[in-house]
This record gives sequence, structure tokens and C-alpha cells, in this order.
Amino acid sequence: MSGSFYNNSTFVAIVILVVVLLLITGLLYGVMRNIKAMIRDRHPEEAKPSWIDSKIKPVTSQWNPTIVTIAVIGILVLVLGSWGYKYGMDEIGVQQGYSPDQPIAYSHELHAGTMGIDCQYCHSTAATSKHASIPSGNTCMNCHKGAQLRDKYDGKVSPELQKLYTSVGFDPETSTYPKELEANKGPIKWVRIHNLPDLAYFNHSQHVAVGNIECQTCHGPIEEMEKVYQFSSLQMGWCINCHRQRGIDVENNQYYEDVHKEMKAKGEHYVTVGQNGGLECSKCHY
Amino acid sequence: MGNSNKYWRGIEEVDTSGLPPASNGNEFSDSLPMEEIFGESEEITANRRDFLKFFGFSVSAVALAACNKAPVKYIKPYLDKPETVTPGNALYYATNCGVYNEGFPVLAKVREGRPIKLDGNPESPISQGSLCATGQASILSLYDVNRLPHPVVDGAEEENWSAVDTKAMGALKAADNFGIRLVTRTVSSPVMKSSIDAFKTTYPGTKHVVYDPISYSGITKANKADFGKSIVPNYKLDKADVIVSFGADFLGTWISPVRFSADYSKRRVPTPEDPTMSKHYQVESLMSITGTNADYRFSIPQSKYGLYLANLHNKIASKVGGTSMSGIAAQELPGNNLEVIASDLANSRGASLVICGSNNQYDQMVVNSINNMLGNYGNTIDISAGMNISDFDESEFDSFVSDVTKGNVGAVVLVNCNPVYSYHKGSELAEALSKVKVISTSMVLDETTAKASIIAPDNHWLESWDLMEPMEGHYTVSQPVISKVFNTRSAAETLRVWAGETFEVTGDDQISRKWVIDKIKSLGGNSDKAIHDGFVNTSGSGASSYSGSLDSAASNINARTITDGLELVLYQKVGPRDGSWALNPWCHELPDPVTKVTYDNYVTISKSDAASNGWEQGDFLKVTANGSTIDQIPMLIQPGQSRGTVGIALGYGRTAVNSQENDLVDLGQNAYPMVTSTANGIEYSAGTVTIEKVASGYVFAQTQSHHTIEGRDYMREATLDEYKENHNVRNEHKPHLVSIWEKYDYSKGHHWGMAVDMNACTGCGSCIVSCSIENNVPVVGRTEVRRRREMHWIRIDRYYSFVVDKDTDASVRNGPSYEDHFFKAGDLSTKETEIKSLDKLSKESSDYGHYDSVRVVHQPVMCQHCDNAPCETVCPVLATTHSTEGLNQMTYNRCIGTKYCGNNCPYKVRRFNWFRYNKNPKYDYHFNNELGRMVLNPDVTVRSRGVMEKCSFCVQNIQMAKLNAKRENRKMADGDATVACAKACPSNAIVFGDRNDPKSDIAKMFKNERAYKMLEEVNTDPSVVYLTKIRNRKEETNEVHPS
Repeated sequence: MSGSFYNNSTFVAIVILVVVLLLITGLLYGVMRNIKAMIRDRHPEEAKPSWIDSKIKPVTSQWNPTIVTIAVIGILVLVLGSWGYKYGMDEIGVQQGYSPDQPIAYSHELHAGTMGIDCQYCHSTAATSKHASIPSGNTCMNCHKGAQLRDKYDGKVSPELQKLYTSVGFDPETSTYPKELEANKGPIKWVRIHNLPDLAYFNHSQHVAVGNIECQTCHGPIEEMEKVYQFSSLQMGWCINCHRQRGIDVENNQYYEDVHKEMKAKGEHYVTVGQNGGLECSKCHY
Repeated sequence: MGNSNKYWRGIEEVDTSGLPPASNGNEFSDSLPMEEIFGESEEITANRRDFLKFFGFSVSAVALAACNKAPVKYIKPYLDKPETVTPGNALYYATNCGVYNEGFPVLAKVREGRPIKLDGNPESPISQGSLCATGQASILSLYDVNRLPHPVVDGAEEENWSAVDTKAMGALKAADNFGIRLVTRTVSSPVMKSSIDAFKTTYPGTKHVVYDPISYSGITKANKADFGKSIVPNYKLDKADVIVSFGADFLGTWISPVRFSADYSKRRVPTPEDPTMSKHYQVESLMSITGTNADYRFSIPQSKYGLYLANLHNKIASKVGGTSMSGIAAQELPGNNLEVIASDLANSRGASLVICGSNNQYDQMVVNSINNMLGNYGNTIDISAGMNISDFDESEFDSFVSDVTKGNVGAVVLVNCNPVYSYHKGSELAEALSKVKVISTSMVLDETTAKASIIAPDNHWLESWDLMEPMEGHYTVSQPVISKVFNTRSAAETLRVWAGETFEVTGDDQISRKWVIDKIKSLGGNSDKAIHDGFVNTSGSGASSYSGSLDSAASNINARTITDGLELVLYQKVGPRDGSWALNPWCHELPDPVTKVTYDNYVTISKSDAASNGWEQGDFLKVTANGSTIDQIPMLIQPGQSRGTVGIALGYGRTAVNSQENDLVDLGQNAYPMVTSTANGIEYSAGTVTIEKVASGYVFAQTQSHHTIEGRDYMREATLDEYKENHNVRNEHKPHLVSIWEKYDYSKGHHWGMAVDMNACTGCGSCIVSCSIENNVPVVGRTEVRRRREMHWIRIDRYYSFVVDKDTDASVRNGPSYEDHFFKAGDLSTKETEIKSLDKLSKESSDYGHYDSVRVVHQPVMCQHCDNAPCETVCPVLATTHSTEGLNQMTYNRCIGTKYCGNNCPYKVRRFNWFRYNKNPKYDYHFNNELGRMVLNPDVTVRSRGVMEKCSFCVQNIQMAKLNAKRENRKMADGDATVACAKACPSNAIVFGDRNDPKSDIAKMFKNERAYKMLEEVNTDPSVVYLTKIRNRKEETNEVHPS
């Protein structure tokens, strides 16, 4: 997926080429027809019905030209349109399914799935901040100072893990952070998968801490992903849809005290995010 | 509508004889530049073929542009995440603003290790939670590409500090025998003081010289003579019932304007329970921002300050039984108002205050004597704890300059000061400095540092540890809020290294941290608490009693010659101030509070002087004073200015290296060489000035004329007596409102609202800069401002109205009445009728006397968040909509730029992005480079070309405050959600909050009898109320100019 996603220009070139070739073919066909017609005019006796005249024409002449034109145009619009839609979506950053290669082949399936490590152990600011944040090197080292996976690599350190050790300047042989490794230290440059445009404001803590939404609701079965891909479209329609359906827990948050009182008075039990103003523009755009 | 004052925006509106009016009444000044696009001649020459070419080009251009890939983005996590840092959440640190050397306590908002906003420290008595416009803007100096990235030795960058130190110490040792001069600004930092002492011990040939660009030596010398203490005392405006200021611009630029504004405004807001306010007389030559706020304002030439003060002194002396000054010529203000002032002062003994902005020692001695007679010391003036702002002694500095000129000095070490630019003999000094070894610690290559062979750049103050003592006994702590941006070192550290001290520090730590902590401990403070709070208090040095004599003052005042010609007054402008930080675009894009001119300095002159010389607004003048000449400077007519006075602002004409190509290069003219230097010090005036017109036709980038008020009832003003009788004064008539919309019920949830108390607002402009920083508002430059394309989300409208002799015809005095001139049958209220009536007034008064005494009001205008918003109904794409919380929302990504909303807004608060200012190299104001962009607020979208924008009530702060409350499982409290303008306002004129919270300040403000909504009659139902301005004056008092 990731490969084809970033090689669209070749595809575009091929499409353009095909269109041009088709045009030339059409043109040549027209020229040929004219020449044939001229030959027919000069030597009508030699004319014999062509394959098209004898086999195709009798069929097509039965067709209604209006319907045929509409049908052809319709098919063209459908094909080109759907291709254009997909292409355009990719272009503007709607990247559902985006799954780039990461600098370290880190497996969420292993860590979150098999090991069952809590999401917020690593993405520790999800409940307190706008960003869930990528764990810092020292968080990884909490486990990987010990867990060096030598049994799987004939007593050697896993090459993927070695990238982490290099990044934090750790010597697995001595389990120390020697001075001479400091020069090569540096953060790992992860590829960002979930990209919201600058014009949309999103805050993790609002959804995790206040809304009590499971990570998987938006990020999908992350604990089954060997390699992470973008599960949701992250389009505005997708956001809005959820805001229209999800209810607010007004009962257990003092902030909503007045709303809750009023609901009780009216005998209502459920208020969605949208009903409480969650569909308004400047809740996310400012 | 009950208000008889006729407001006008500027001279070009009243006097239509001169330049064409700057505004044509349209929202957008230019029509589309069709000719520029389609042809070279005046007619449109494009034909069908050209159209097809352009069309074809556009289509292919769009197709090409659309081929941009969504970029691959990366995330780099911390290696070791600091415990306190949470990516995405802001941290606040108490530190100092270093714009003025004495230190000013601020809170720095830091996101992911980079400071993005400064606000006043609310707990400090000095800042009281606010910060001036220049201080707000100063955060950009941290991310200035003009800063020196490395030390410089002999013109070449030297990355290794120890090499610099070796070189510098060698030079200093060699120079020690010939004498070293260490030039600093007034040192309020005990850490710096110890460094200077250490330096002097190692280099005994060192003499420490203090240099400040603006001198307050008149005050310090007068206090030395009268109290035996060379200090600037602490003035307490909140304790004064009567304030009389002779040219002291204490709300704009004088000593400590933020604290003065805060204290002043506490006594300026009458309430039904306590319908009193202080009475403020301003006697001045130029129209200062302080003068615009006075209850009574008199314009006199600056050379007569002494004479008027002496007369006032004698009048008070005869009332309270003091000693009169002898041999003083009698002088009275028109309408015997000096007598009125004297009795007002005598009636509020111990609760009055007389101050003077002159830097003449003898004027200040008279002022001291008056305050002493009135018993103000210990009440409104605290002489026991002075302000550490001025140790500058001109005579000492003059002898330093002559020493250098004579070659009696081996080396000069300059610590963050720039005398070549701001000293009146700067060019002489520059020449002299070429002869000696010059070492500088400046962050930027300024005029003086250009002479240095060794430059050891200081840290920015937001990168340094320091301790300041702005007020005696009040120490404020500086702490670094970012790791060093460049290879710099704090000047205090540099001096001690050169003194031979050695110290070990690890990592990013600085040795000055230890010095600061040690000093706090020696003061008896808890260092952790002091660093957290930002300050530590000890006690002042104790009171001393008055023992002055006025004999010398009397003879000095009598000896002053007052010429008949023009005299020059030099002043500072709010924003650029003394010019030290004049390469900051935010300071210049801020319109001057009075003239509303951006970017330039100019000669201000009274209308009558301009008319008698045959000069018109926009003429270029050649000005010569004190042997210094400015070849060309534009002229601006300033209503209210004293006749016979011209004013020029200091702080312009910087020639420092500026790597950017923008309007700040060669901006304005340097007026520092024009000051008068006497044996007693510098006076910011010149007795004789010759002026000739050299050219004409300059167009100021002036913002006030950008929109028209069309005679509508924007401003409401009343006197205190009227208010006492009727708390609803001017607001009695509520219009009958009809709406075609169904009223939405806002009583649920939040309903945000704002109140602007025009009694408290001084027009200082701090809110404008604060808003620009908070909301990533771009700087557009002078040309764009001329085209009315400034982007400020909040503006402060300044209106003049006439105050004329009571004998003058009433229609002239108050302007023609509303009914007469604006609502004749069949007549529309238009700009034209308004101008016609004001023009009539001009013609009836032949000598322009009515221009000498004008009243001024300031009115901040931001998006009014109308509940029946006219902009929302005309947007074809629903890009601007209303929220259930009463916010008028602007959704940039929906906007297609039709500008319908801007046209339909009656308040003219919407701004259109004509360009992509942050990417366009034509707008080289720091936001188009990587470093400058660090100051942007990451929570607010950087708008692109082609969209409308406007005040959002800082919706990012509202949302954050709501989220914090939800996360902490509590209801929102009043004050949780703040807006940048209200936070910055020194005089607390802007209140913001939830109108649905009955206990909130804003709910009370909406119920205030003085509250009215702007253009209430059109029923836009704004969420902003204004509170009628009340002046403590009698309507019939004369304020005409002295003849």
C-alpha cells in the first residue's frame, strides 16, 4: 500500500499516455475511413462491405444513439470519477490504510496484544494532553534494559533493538551508558501515521479522560497490528458521525451539573455530544 | 441619542481643504487591479486571445499545483523526557521582562521548551498581571535572526569561548594601566553589581559609567538636593484624589507606565455605591496618551512648565501657608484655571499628587516643594523605596566621552547599551571609539557594537538567571525559560570570567543560578519560593525628610528665555519607546495611541501653526535644532498640541544591521542629537528650531481614517455630576428593537461576553500586541496598512471632539446637534453630512482655536460577537456561524474569500488575508523564517491567503479552560477562561467571562447602568458592552489655549 501510494505520478503519466495514444488511434482511424471512402467513391465496383459494415453495423444501427451516448459518457464519468476521487483523497491527505515503514519494526501486536501492556504506559500523555505522544527513549529502556531478546538471535542483540540502544547510547554488553556512545545518540525519527490538517484541533485528553473512549474506537484493533495502519479515515464526516451518536456522561462530571439537572427535570436520560454543542465549528476549528 | 459631542477621527475629516480624505467609505480601499493584470496602458487591452492564454495558463497552473503530495511527517520523541514537560501542554514560569533594564516581573508561557507569550506576573505589585505593548512584543527578540550566533573577535566569528576570553583578558590587561571604562545601563541587578565589583578588583584601572538612553536625572538630582537621596521615588496614583501632571506621560512612557495605569484606573471608575473618582489635570505641550485621558487638559509650551509650576507653587503656598518663591512673573491658565487647580490641590492635602515630565532639576525641585507643602510624601509619594531606573548622570557620561576622545582610555567595555545611537553626541563618540579597544556584550550588532573588536554576546533575558531590584526592597527573579538559542553567555558571567574567576558547571546549568540563589538566601528569602513566585520582598531604606530650598530654582526659572518662534519637544512613542528594541515589527505595526500612525516618526504641529506657515499634512520638513539637522521628515497636524510647539518622537532612525528586507530598515529619523544638553543634564526639548518645507505629499499609514462612523452613536460620554444624578446618563433611551429572527435561548450552558470600561481604558495598545501574539496575527507592513489591510483583530478607535470657549456659539461648541444635521427629513446620516457639519465649524472659527483644546476618547473595538450577526447571514458557504455559547465562529477552511461578511459588518472588525504572510518573502517580519516562527501559538491556525479572520474571543483559551474543568471534574469558575486582551490590559478595562454565571464579573458589568451596546438600534445584539465614559469635570469650564 505504502509503495503504490507514493508512486502515483508514474500512474498519472501512464494514464495521460494512454489517453494521448487513444486520441491518435482515433485520429488515424478517421483518416483511414476518409481514405477508404475516397477509394470507394472512385471505384465503387471494388467496394465490398467491411467487417464492421457487415457484422457490427447491423447490430449497432438498432441502438438508440442518445442512449448510447449517455451510456458511454456515464461509464467514462464513473470510471474516471472514482479514480479521481481516490486520487484526490490521497492528495489532500485522507490516508485511510496508510501504513508506512517505521525506522524500527516495532510490533504493537507483540507489545499491546501478546504482552498486554497498557496503551498509556507508553503513550502516557493521552489522558492529560492534546498529544498522546510517542514514548521517549527512556520509557522503552524501562523494559529493554533487561529484555534484550538474545535467545532469538543466537545470543546476539536483536538488530531492531540495537537501533534503540544506539539512539539512547546504551551498551547492551555492559548494561551501561558509556560516554563514547553519546556522540551517536539521537531520537528515533518515527513516521507519523495519523495526520490531521493544521486547521483542525484535536485533543486526546478530551476524548480519553473526559469522553472515556477506548483507544481502539478510533485506532482500530491496534493490539492485532504487526505494523500499524491508519484504521479510520480521520475525515470530518467521521468525526461528526461519532459526535452525533455518542452520549455524554453528564452524571459523573461536575462540569455538566447544570445540564444534568435540566435533563433530570425534563426526564431525559441521554444527551449526545452534538446536542451539547459538539457539532459547532469552533469546537475544533480555530 | 442624547449625546451632544460630535466625534471626528482626524484632521482630514474636519478640514476637507487639504488632502483628499484617506477613506472613501468603502470597506476595501482598492478596486481589483485589472489593468495591472491585463494590460500596461490605462485601458484594458486584453482581447479574447489573451483571455484564452491566461485561461490556459491558469488551468495548467492549477493542475500543476495540485500535484503536491501530502508530505510524509515525522515525530521525534524525547530521549529523556523531562518530568514536568508534557508535549501539548503549556508551562508558566515567573521571570523578568528585560526590555527596560530594571526588570519587570512576567509569566512566560512555554510550550515544548519554547516561550511563546509573556504576560504580567499577577502576584507582583509592580506588574499587577499586565505588561506593556513593548514588553509583549519583546518575546520576538529571542527568536530574532539578527542576533549574533557566536562571539566575534576582530570581525570573525569565534565559536570557542575560551579563545574569546583569552583575547579579551589580554586586551584588558594591556589596557588596565591606561584606564578601562565599563559602560552599563542603570544596574538594578545585585548579581551584575557583584560581577562589576569583581571586574573592578581585577582591573583596578576600571571606572564604571552608567548610560541610559532616557535620563531621569532631573528627578534624582532634585531628590538629592531636597531629601539627600538620589532616587526616583515611588508614586502611588491609587492614593491620589487630585493628580496634576505637567507633561509627565505616566500612562504611556514615563517611569513605570504599566503600574501607573493599573493604580490610576483603580480611582477612575465611579460606581453607584461610590460615585467618586480622582480628578486629573494634565498641563502639557504635546498631545500625550496621558493628556487624552485627563479630565482637564491645558496645552502650554514646554519652556513655560517652570513658570507655571512656580505660579502654582506660590498659589498653593498662599493657601496652605508655605514659603513663596520670589521674583516669579505672574502666569495664569485661561479661565483662571491655575487658581482652580491650586485650590483643588490645597483641598486634598495628603491625597494629591503633582508630577512633571521635564528633566530639568529645578522644575522637579518646585514639584517636590509643592508635594511637600501638600503633605504628599508618605501618602501619595513613597520616598523610602525608590525605583531603580536611573543612576544615569549626564556629566559623568560627558566626561567619559571626552576621556575617550582625548585618548585617556585604554579600553571600553560596553554591557548592553548603545550610546552611539541614543547619546546626543553619538557620532562624536563613534569616532572616539574607533581609537580605543572596544569590547561589547550586545546580543545584536547595534550601532555601538559595530565599533567593537571583541563581541561576547549576552544571553537573551529569557535564557538567563538573574535577580533584579526594580523597586527598592522588591527583588524579582529571572530564570531561563528556554535553552540558549545561540552560542551566548550571560554578561554577568562574562565579566567574572574576565575577572579571572573560574567555575564548574554541568550541562545546561549556568553559574549565575548559584549566584541568584545565594543572593536570595542572603536576603533572607526562600530561594525555591522566590523562583516560583518570581519575586522576594525585603524592606526599603527608610524615609527621609524634606529640606529643600527653591532659591536656585527661582533664579533658573526666571532666567529662562522663551522665544516667540517654534520650540521642539522630543518624546517617546508607545511601542518603539526609546528605540532600544526598535527593530521589532510588532512595536511599529501598533498604531500610535494618539496619532494612529504606524511605522513613522514625524513632526507634530498644531493646526494654527501649520496654517500660518502654509504647511499641510504630509509635507516634508527640514528641521534644525541644537546644531543637528533632519533633512526630511513628514509633518502631521496634531489637534490639541500647544501653539508654538513641534514634537518629534525619539527611538527612530536606527542604522543597526538588519538582515531583513522590510519597512524597519532605515525607519524614521533619529532625533536624539536634537536634545538640549545643559550643565544640569539633558532636556528633551530645544528652545529654537528652524523649519522649512522641502517637499510635500507624504501619505501616512494611519489606521484611524480607515472606516467611517457616519455620525452614529458609537461613543457615550458624560460628566461625573451628571452620573451622580443619573446612573443611566446617556443610556436612557433604549431603542425599540424589532427582529426578523427568532430569538435563540442562550440561558443554557455558557454565554460568553465582554465588557469594555471606557473610563478605565487609556488607549495604551497593550491589548493589540497581546492579541496579535496570542492569535498569530501577521505583520503586514506600511504599504499594506496604507491600503487598509492591517490585520489586527482588535483596534483602538480614537475620536476627537471639540471643547471651545463657553461664549462660543453652542452649535460650534458641541458641534451641530444631531437632529439639526443628521436627521433632517429625507436626509440620510452619511459621512458627507457629517463632514459638512464639521467643516462648517472650521469655517466659523478663523484662527483654528477650537483645535487647541480637543477632548479625546479611546474605544477598543473587536468582533462584537453579535447574537444577530449580520456577517453570518451573508456568507454563501456558512464559513461564519453562531455557536450555542454566543460566539461568532469563523471557520477558515470553509471560507472562500467573498468578503461579503466584511462588507456587511457594521463594526468593521473583519480582516481579509490578502497574502500568505508567513510564506511570502515580501513580508519579511520574522514569520517567514524558521526561527521567527517559533513564536507562533501552536493552538491557533496560521491563516492562509484568501480567507477572512477576526477576533474569536480567544476560543482556544475558552476550550482549554472548559477541558481543564471537565478533566478536574468541577464546574467552571469565573476567570478560568481569559482572553489575551483582557489579560494584557494594565488598567483592567476589559472584562471577559460567562454571562450565564450570575456571580461573574461580566454578568455584573452587563447589568451596570453605564453599559450600552454599540449600534444598539440596528439590533445586532452584540456580546460586547461598553461602559459610558465619565469625566470628572464641569461642562462649562474653559480649556482654551493661553493667548
